[in-house]
Amino acid sequence: MAVSEEIMRMQTERSIKKLATLCGTALLATLLMVSATFGQSAATGGGDQAAAPKLPGEKTLPGETGGPYTDPLEPFNSAMFKFNVDLDQYVVTPVAKGYSYVMPEPARQSVNNFFRNVGVIPRFANNLFQLHPYNAANELARFGINSTLGVAGLFDVADSWFGMKQHNDDFGLTLGHYGIYSGPYVMLPFFGPSTVRDTVGLVVDGCMNPMAWLLPWYVTIPADAGSEAINAVNYRSLHPNQFEEADRYAVDLYGAVQDAYMQTRVAELKRIAQ
Amino acid sequence: MFGNNHSAGNLRTPLAPWVSSATARIAFGAFAAAMLALMVATAVSPPEAWALPTALDTVSQVVNTALPVLRDRSSPVPQRRRKLRSLLEQHFDFSDMSRIALGYHWRELSTQQRAQFTQLFTAFIENAYLSKIQDYSGQDVAILGQNAEGEGFARVRSQIIQSGKQPIKVDYLLRDMDGDWKIYDVTVDAISIVANYRNQFNRVINDQGFDKLMSDMRVKQQQLEASMGS
Repeated sequence: MAVSEEIMRMQTERSIKKLATLCGTALLATLLMVSATFGQSAATGGGDQAAAPKLPGEKTLPGETGGPYTDPLEPFNSAMFKFNVDLDQYVVTPVAKGYSYVMPEPARQSVNNFFRNVGVIPRFANNLFQLHPYNAANELARFGINSTLGVAGLFDVADSWFGMKQHNDDFGLTLGHYGIYSGPYVMLPFFGPSTVRDTVGLVVDGCMNPMAWLLPWYVTIPADAGSEAINAVNYRSLHPNQFEEADRYAVDLYGAVQDAYMQTRVAELKRIAQ
Repeated sequence: MFGNNHSAGNLRTPLAPWVSSATARIAFGAFAAAMLALMVATAVSPPEAWALPTALDTVSQVVNTALPVLRDRSSPVPQRRRKLRSLLEQHFDFSDMSRIALGYHWRELSTQQRAQFTQLFTAFIENAYLSKIQDYSGQDVAILGQNAEGEGFARVRSQIIQSGKQPIKVDYLLRDMDGDWKIYDVTVDAISIVANYRNQFNRVINDQGFDKLMSDMRVKQQQLEASMGS
């Protein structure tokens, strides 16, 4: 007994060291991006995406936002995009269809609520980092209410009974809020569209998971991967036509997804700034 | 004003103690007559002279004309589509939309190419909107307000209210073209549709050229047309 406990302890220490290395790297990447931002601002006058050079006298109508985006990682991104689309078409969608037959829609909505509820820590922390204490406290209160009255987060009673809305937030938005340049567009396998800044944000948010520090890696990584997979299948089953809709109206699906993601991030930053 | 028609004898002001009641009554009467004349004039003269339509009025008109057509399940679908198509052509500024959608590639095109593109893009957008008829399931539209976006430009904010789900925010950007407000962009949940197409078109032109864009768009437009055939 004592020997296996000892081994567990040693392995937990080792995985903590690995995790610390990973999170330390993420923070280092953040610092690098901060310094890169100053270089970028000096070179192009700032701005989140490199805009196309305009001829003198060319008018921009109000509201003409977005693109074109320089896409230096385009070969990688295209490959990852194809991978994600194939994964969705051949794996996630069929599984989601079967899943929909077994699980009624209200149950699937509850599963969605459960995953949203347990993702509270990055939302809470990032609302604090962005100096929105009211929203942070709101997130904490929502978690408390939904976990108790909402039966372990299955029901979002904080919203339906008390009108407390969720304030979505992540470390990528925190970095953007403090002026960090977004960096080039990155299409991540499994995770979907992102930018260099937002990918760093993803890692940092992942480091905020307390389970990752308490349990060894061979427990947390499969558990996280499994729960993410369930979340993905569940979400896909709630939005069955999303891909088909996007494909129907897009002349270039890659560009449509890229622009939709970048515009959404800009809008989120605007929302936070208010 | 007419209700407070106290007798002139009550008009006791320290400023004009010398105004006799008779004079006051004549002055008041003249004033009343002038107001009456003004009201009659307003009623018979054309309304445009007195109230130019605002951007919000235009969007309200479009929505209020479109919703009954969308809800009317009894008339045949081609007829409803015709009505909606004419509504789109009346209130959307497709030439500006096409120009913005091509971004800096617009200046590289010849006049003929621009005309071809505008025609195809118009048909494509129209089909995109019209193919959504079958998706409509009785949602209500709430028009929230308008903001000026500079001289002759406005943004009208609205919401599509869905039961049990978050409302969809839809913003319209309009441009004042000689008193007529025309829509040149629609923003759905913070994503500008024209900007989204601009990114797509930009990529296709950069990678494969303008002619490939035209043929790709034609294929999509015909697919939309076919899906509406039922």
